[in-house]
Amino acid sequence: MQSKAGYLIGKLVELLLTLLVVSLLVFTAFSIIPGDAARVMLGPEASQAQVDLLRAELGLDKPLIVRYGSWLIGLLTFNPGTSYAYHMSVGELIAQRLPVTIGMSAIAMIMVIVISYPMAVLSARKPGRFGDQVCSVIGHILFAIPPYVASLLLILLAGSLFSLLTVGNYVSPSDDFIGYVGCLILPSFAIALPKIAMSFKFLRSSIIEQRTSDYVRTSKSHGLSDFKILIRHVLPNSNVSSITIISIILSDILGGSLIVEQVFNLPGLGRLLLSAISRRDFPLLSGIVFYLAFITVILYFLSDIAASLADPRIRLK
Amino acid sequence: MSSQKTQSKRSPEASAFYIAGLILLGIVVVAFVISLFWTPYAPDATDAASKFLPPSLEHPFGTDNFGRDVLSRVMSASKYTIFISAAGVAIALILGTVSGIPAGYYGGFTDRGIMLLGNSIMCFPGILLALVAVAVFGASVTNVIWALGLVFAPTFARVCRLGTMEIKELDYITHARVMGVKPVRIMTFHIFPNLVSQLLPATVIGLANMTLFESGMSYLGLGVQPPDASFGKMLSDAQAYFRVAPWLVIFPAMMLIFYILGLYFISEGMRVSLTKGGK
Repeated sequence: MQSKAGYLIGKLVELLLTLLVVSLLVFTAFSIIPGDAARVMLGPEASQAQVDLLRAELGLDKPLIVRYGSWLIGLLTFNPGTSYAYHMSVGELIAQRLPVTIGMSAIAMIMVIVISYPMAVLSARKPGRFGDQVCSVIGHILFAIPPYVASLLLILLAGSLFSLLTVGNYVSPSDDFIGYVGCLILPSFAIALPKIAMSFKFLRSSIIEQRTSDYVRTSKSHGLSDFKILIRHVLPNSNVSSITIISIILSDILGGSLIVEQVFNLPGLGRLLLSAISRRDFPLLSGIVFYLAFITVILYFLSDIAASLADPRIRLK
Repeated sequence: MSSQKTQSKRSPEASAFYIAGLILLGIVVVAFVISLFWTPYAPDATDAASKFLPPSLEHPFGTDNFGRDVLSRVMSASKYTIFISAAGVAIALILGTVSGIPAGYYGGFTDRGIMLLGNSIMCFPGILLALVAVAVFGASVTNVIWALGLVFAPTFARVCRLGTMEIKELDYITHARVMGVKPVRIMTFHIFPNLVSQLLPATVIGLANMTLFESGMSYLGLGVQPPDASFGKMLSDAQAYFRVAPWLVIFPAMMLIFYILGLYFISEGMRVSLTKGGK
């Protein structure tokens, strides 16, 4: 039997190790660039003097381990170098673009929960019935549509239905919060669609499983109403396992937003990432990649902790 | 084994999934096979006289901004979708089994090390890691395949690891070990064949997910490079014109979804027949 503190410490060590490996992966990826990184960034026309200057600026003339150390310290202090293309601090650039990506992910997550929960509860009431089967088939179809394709189809639909959800005009949250939410609704919905299907499928089977368990039968024989059993017993018990699913969905949403931003022309991290790739801005690129992975690692860590608090049996595994 | 399953009939639900899946997948595969020998027009033949023609008998899927026949392009694009997903999954399968089975078999430090690496790879959301690989090594079909193979390897490693941990406790493995069979031989000839039934559904889902990733990368212009047609690239090209020519979006999207959905249905059929067969 592991104590609560022991479990927490174990998870913390795992978290730190994972972050270390993630940072090593990112660093290695950008260190094994075929040829000279500075040469690759500047292109074939640059003179040798320019290349040498950039090498010194990037610290490429120092040994690998020193570069890794200084990069790691930079990451921890949220200052992992200067963007080569924008001539700005990488941390500042990321902070500028973060509201779009985070806002979109948050709205998408809310949509997933608000839509998939009622659907799953209704569908699980009478499994195998016609309505349930229709929901399942729709779920499969939604699951198979890539978010960017869903975006294109939604733009087609929305463009002809309402002019309210204008496409391609980003509003900053400090200017007009309602407008900011409004311009993110359609892209968020496109990302949320397949995840709604995923969450629905998972919740539905989890609720059905709980419903057939002994304690539900006992509660029923004690005279509790179906509704009370559902709210008080079945849903809380299904929630435990859905904590893990939610963290996976959140990470997927984050990944999906990178592409969908491109479809809707939103100035988020995905756009920044792509411009960093096309301009071969490796300091910026490695910063974005690490911080996105960092968010995911933290999410998984928090979900592990939350799940173990909700269901102490997990600590035994 | 005494308990012979009299499983001559599949459950109707599983059959429905199999049939629907095979039909959808079949459409794409048939288009691919035919495109190897024949397409109605050359996929990259431009024709200034027939730009933006809506679907008609002559051009069943219409034509695009260069007057290219969309049906021909869709047919030739299916080649990359099928080829990249198959090759990528093959790489992921090999990497996954080679790392997952020893992890499950030896346990301890080996297990922790391999799983730490696998979990770290899985912490990069979506296509991020594959994008990095392409940014560093350049965008090409080969690089996309390697990158996606690496990104998907941990999924297969997990399946192999869990399966191996169960199988290695069985009597016949202990027996083999006592007889002095070498671990490598046990893993290749005694454990791996028994993992196939678990790897099969994972492979089918892997094909579908890899197609999602690949088409996303091609959409961003970091996958299959022009002039070759791919569903993702066709969709991103179509975006500029799709209010005047919605067929440019609809047909490639349809084929892409058919392929992914077909694979999902087949894997769902496998899952249903596995869980129902256990009862």
